[in-house]
Amino acid sequence: MQVKKWNIALFLLPCLLLFALIYLIPLLMVIGSSFFEWKAGGVFRFVGLDNYINAFLHDSRMMTALRNTAIWVVLQSVVHVGIGTIIAFMLARKLRGWKILRTIYMIPNVVSTAALGVIFLNVFSPKYGLINSMISQVTGLTFQKNWFFEEGSAFLTVTWSWLLYTGMIIIVVLAGVLAIPEDMIEAARIDGATEMAINFKVRLPMIRTVLGTSVILAATSMLREFELIYLTTNGGPGDLTLNLPLYLYKTSMTDNNYGYANMMGVVLIVAGIVVVQAINKLFRMGDSDY
Amino acid sequence: MKKLLAVALAGMMMLGVLAGCGGGQEKAASGGSVVEINFPTHWVGISVTAPWFQERLSAFNEQYGDKIKVTVEEIAGDQNYVDKMKVLYSSKSLPDAISTGGYNLIDSMKDQLVDLTDYMDDEWRSRASDICWDVNSRDGKIYGIPYTRQVIGYFYNKDLFTKAGIDKPAETWDEFFSQCDKLLAAGITPLSMDTADSGWVTSLMLGAMIGQTEAGEAFMNTNLPTDYNTPEFIEAAGNIQKMFQKYTTPDAVGGAYENAASNFFMEETAIIANGPWMVSDFYDTSLVEDGFADKIGTAMYPGGVMYNSGKIGFNIASKDEKTLEATLTFVKFLTSEESQLKMLEMTGDTPAAEGLASDAVKPLVNEVMANGDAASRCINDFQSLWYANVIDEISVQYPLLARGQITPEQFAQALTDAAAKN
Amino acid sequence: MRKKPSFWRVLRFLFLGFFVLISIGPLVWIVMSSFKSNREILSSAFSLPTSLDPIGYITALEMAPIFTFYKNSVIISALSTLLNVVAVSMAAYVLARHKFKGNTFILLMLSMSMLIPTASLLMPIYKIMTTLGLFNTRLCLILVYAALGLPTSLFIFRSYFQGIPKELEEAAYIDGAGFFRTFFTIVFPLAKPGLATGAILQFLTSWNEFMFALILTSSTEVRTLPLALNYFTSQFSFNFTAMFAALTMVILPSVVVYVLLQEQITSSMVDGAIKG
Repeated sequence: MQVKKWNIALFLLPCLLLFALIYLIPLLMVIGSSFFEWKAGGVFRFVGLDNYINAFLHDSRMMTALRNTAIWVVLQSVVHVGIGTIIAFMLARKLRGWKILRTIYMIPNVVSTAALGVIFLNVFSPKYGLINSMISQVTGLTFQKNWFFEEGSAFLTVTWSWLLYTGMIIIVVLAGVLAIPEDMIEAARIDGATEMAINFKVRLPMIRTVLGTSVILAATSMLREFELIYLTTNGGPGDLTLNLPLYLYKTSMTDNNYGYANMMGVVLIVAGIVVVQAINKLFRMGDSDY
Repeated sequence: MKKLLAVALAGMMMLGVLAGCGGGQEKAASGGSVVEINFPTHWVGISVTAPWFQERLSAFNEQYGDKIKVTVEEIAGDQNYVDKMKVLYSSKSLPDAISTGGYNLIDSMKDQLVDLTDYMDDEWRSRASDICWDVNSRDGKIYGIPYTRQVIGYFYNKDLFTKAGIDKPAETWDEFFSQCDKLLAAGITPLSMDTADSGWVTSLMLGAMIGQTEAGEAFMNTNLPTDYNTPEFIEAAGNIQKMFQKYTTPDAVGGAYENAASNFFMEETAIIANGPWMVSDFYDTSLVEDGFADKIGTAMYPGGVMYNSGKIGFNIASKDEKTLEATLTFVKFLTSEESQLKMLEMTGDTPAAEGLASDAVKPLVNEVMANGDAASRCINDFQSLWYANVIDEISVQYPLLARGQITPEQFAQALTDAAAKN
Repeated sequence: MRKKPSFWRVLRFLFLGFFVLISIGPLVWIVMSSFKSNREILSSAFSLPTSLDPIGYITALEMAPIFTFYKNSVIISALSTLLNVVAVSMAAYVLARHKFKGNTFILLMLSMSMLIPTASLLMPIYKIMTTLGLFNTRLCLILVYAALGLPTSLFIFRSYFQGIPKELEEAAYIDGAGFFRTFFTIVFPLAKPGLATGAILQFLTSWNEFMFALILTSSTEVRTLPLALNYFTSQFSFNFTAMFAALTMVILPSVVVYVLLQEQITSSMVDGAIKG
C-alpha cells in the first residue's frame, strides 16, 4: 500500500500542533531547569548534575519515594490489569445485566478525587469507620485500627483504595474482546475447544495489544498519581506512603525548590520511557495482528 | 446526516471560541480615567469572612466606583489560593492586592512585592499595634498591611469540667495534666486533637507548651526558625506524645480540624485549642445542640501563655504607580478602623488596632480578647512563622510520634532537617 | 452453553458483586450524606439520613455559581473530547498503519507527554496561554484538556487500529477512494468501540480536572464544576451537607448522561464487532 508522504504529514499535523502548544515548551523547561538551582526568591544558577547527584547519593527520602513508586507501578500493572481483565472476560459473555455492570464499574471515575479522599478517610476511620464497624460486628470486640495512619497498614490501605479505578481497565479490555471477529471464536468452538480454552488460546492472544495498552495506562498512571495519597495520608506516617510524584509536588509547592522538583520530573519521564518501552517489547505492541 | 453533524459541531466550536473570548475581553475594556486593579480572594462561599468582604466591597464601590474598578477573582479554599499565588509568582504576574488569611508569602515572594514603607503615614500606622507591623516587616521594610491580630487560647466545656470535679482551668501544665486525669477518671476524653493538614489544634497546644519559658517565648516569636532541637521544643513534643497516647480520641491521629472540632461540638471532648472565629459555630445548631455556647468557657494556656500576635495582612504587587495608588486606596479602605470593627462584629476576628470594641460581639469573643490582653507571655502561631515544608512535615511525623515510633528528639530532628532544605 | 458448576457461579457472583458495591458505594454515600446535618455526618458517617430536607441543596446553590459552572463544564468537556478524538485518531491511524521515517520517534515523543508531572506543566502553560491571549477563556481549557488526554487516547486508538484487518482499506483504495475518505468512511466506523472508549476517558478527564481550571481562569463566567466543591470547606469552617449536595448535583447528571450514551456506544460496538 503506497501512501503519499503529505497525507501522512497532514494526518499527524493536528496532534503534533497540540503537542507543541501544550507539552513542548514545558518539556524543554523541565529538562533544562533540572540542571539549575532554582528556588523562590530569585535564586537561579547553573549547577550541572548536582541535583541528580544529591538525589541519588544523599537524599534517603528520594530513595523511599522511588521504591514506593516502583512497587505501586508493578502492583498496578499486575493486580489491577489482572482483575480488570477477569471482569471484562466475565462481562464479555454477556451475562444478564452486563451493560449495567459495565456502567456501574465506571462510576468511581466520575466522582471527583477530592470526594473519594473524604470517603476513604471515613471508610477507614478508626472511630466510626465502615471497616472497623464491620469487624467489630463480626467479632464482637471493639476494633479501632487506624488503617491509614499505622505503619503496618498504611501502605496496603492506600494500595487498596485504587481498586476503585479498575473500571477503566474493564472498559478498555471489554471493548477489545467484543471487537474480536465472531467467526474466529466459532471456528474454535467447532474444533471442540472449551470456553476456558477459547479464553486463553483465542481471546487473550487476540487482544494482546489492547492488554499492552491497559498495562501502559495502569503503569504510567502510577507514575503520576499523587492526589489520592495527598488527600489521605499525605505520604505519611513518616514517608511510608510517599511516592515520587507526591515528593515532587511537595518539593515544588511547599519547598519552592523548582530545580530539584524538575530533576524528579526528568527521573519520572525517563522511568516512564523505560517502562513504556519494556511493555511495548513484552506485548509486541508495534506489530499488527494482520 | 454526517454533514449536518459536522456543521453543527463546527458551529459549536465557534460558539465556544466566541464565548470564551468574551470572558477574556473584560480586562481590556477598562478605559478612560477608571483604574482597574485585580484582587483574588478566598473570602467566598463558606468562609466566615465572605459576608464581610461583600459588604465592604459594595461600600468601596459606592465611594470609589467611578475612579477604581476592583476585579475580584473568586478562589474557593485557602490552600488553592496559596497554590495559585505561587504559580503567578513564578511567572511574575502577581495580582495587585493579595490577602492569604495568615499564610506567610512575604519571605518567599518579597522580591515581587511592593515595599510599602514610604507610602505609610502616621494615621495609617496608628490603625494597627506594633506587634502587627512587626510580623509584616522584614529588615525595617513593610511588605504587608495588617488588619487583624491572632489571639488564640483554648475553649473548654464547663459541664464536663464540673462532672469531673474541676472548678477552673489549670494554671500550670502539671495541673493541666492532672485535670486530664480527672476527666479520664470521669469517663470523659480530655482533648480534641488532629494531625492532618498542619495538625492545627495539636500544634497550637505544642506551641503553647514551648512558649511557657523565656527562651520558649522567644522561639515562638522567631520568624522561620531552623533549629528545633531545643529543650523546650523536645519537652513539649514529649507532652504531645503523651496527649496522643492517653488523652485524646482514636480519630485524632489522621484526623483533620473538622474531626477535632466535631468531637468538641458533640461534647465528647472537654478541651479544644482554637481562636475566637470558632465562637459563631457554638451557636450553629447544624453543628451543636441548642444551648451549647452557654456551656463553653475560655482559658489561657497554663503559665499565662496566649497566642497574641500580628497576622500577615494585605500584600501589594502592583506594577506601576497608577495601579499602586488605586490599590493603596482599596487596601486602606479595607483596613480602616470601620472595616476592622465590622470584621470583629461579623467574624469574631480580633482587630489589629488596639482598643476597638463593640457591643455587637459575642461575649466569648470578648473574653478571648481580654485573655489576650491579660496574658503574661504572648506568642505567635506556627502557621505564620514556620517554613511551609516544616508545617507539612509536622502532619506526617505526628502519627509516628503518637504511636511511639519516633522519640520527641527524633521528631525535633525531622523538623530541623525539613527547615534545612530551605 | 455448558452449565458451570454452581461453586464457580457463586464465586463469580460474589466477585462481581464486591466490585459493584465498591463502585456505587461512594455515590450512595454522597447522596445519603447530602440529606444529613453536619452533626450527623461527622458523628455517624454511615447512618441513614433522618429526613429528606433539601436545605443542603438550597445552601449549595446559594453559595456557589453551580449552574454557570455546569454549563462551562459541558461545553468544555464536549469540545475537548471532540478535538481530542479527531486529532488523535488521525495521528494514531498513520502511526499504527504506516512505516515511515520518524514513526517510532514521534510515538516516543508523544508518549513522553503522559509522563510530565502536572506540577511542572502549570507555570509554562500559564505563560503560553497569557502570551496567546487565551488566558481566562474556554478555548484555553479545551486545548489543554484535549492535550492532557492525548497520550491515553493515542495508546487506545493505536491498539484498535492495529486490530483492524488491512484488507478492507486496500479494497477501498482499489475502488479509487482517497486517503481521507478511506479513513473517515472505512476505518473510523470500524474502530468505533475503541474511539468510544477513548472518548469516555477523555470526557471524564476534562470533567474532573481541577488544577488547570483554577490556574488558567480567573472569572466565574468561564470556570468549571470541580472548582465549585471548595466553596463549602475552608480551613476553619465547613458545611459538609452543602458540599455533598453540590457533589450530588455534579455527579448524578453525569452518571445519567453516561448511562444514556452507553446505549449509543454499545450499539456501535456491536456494529464494529459484526463488521470486523
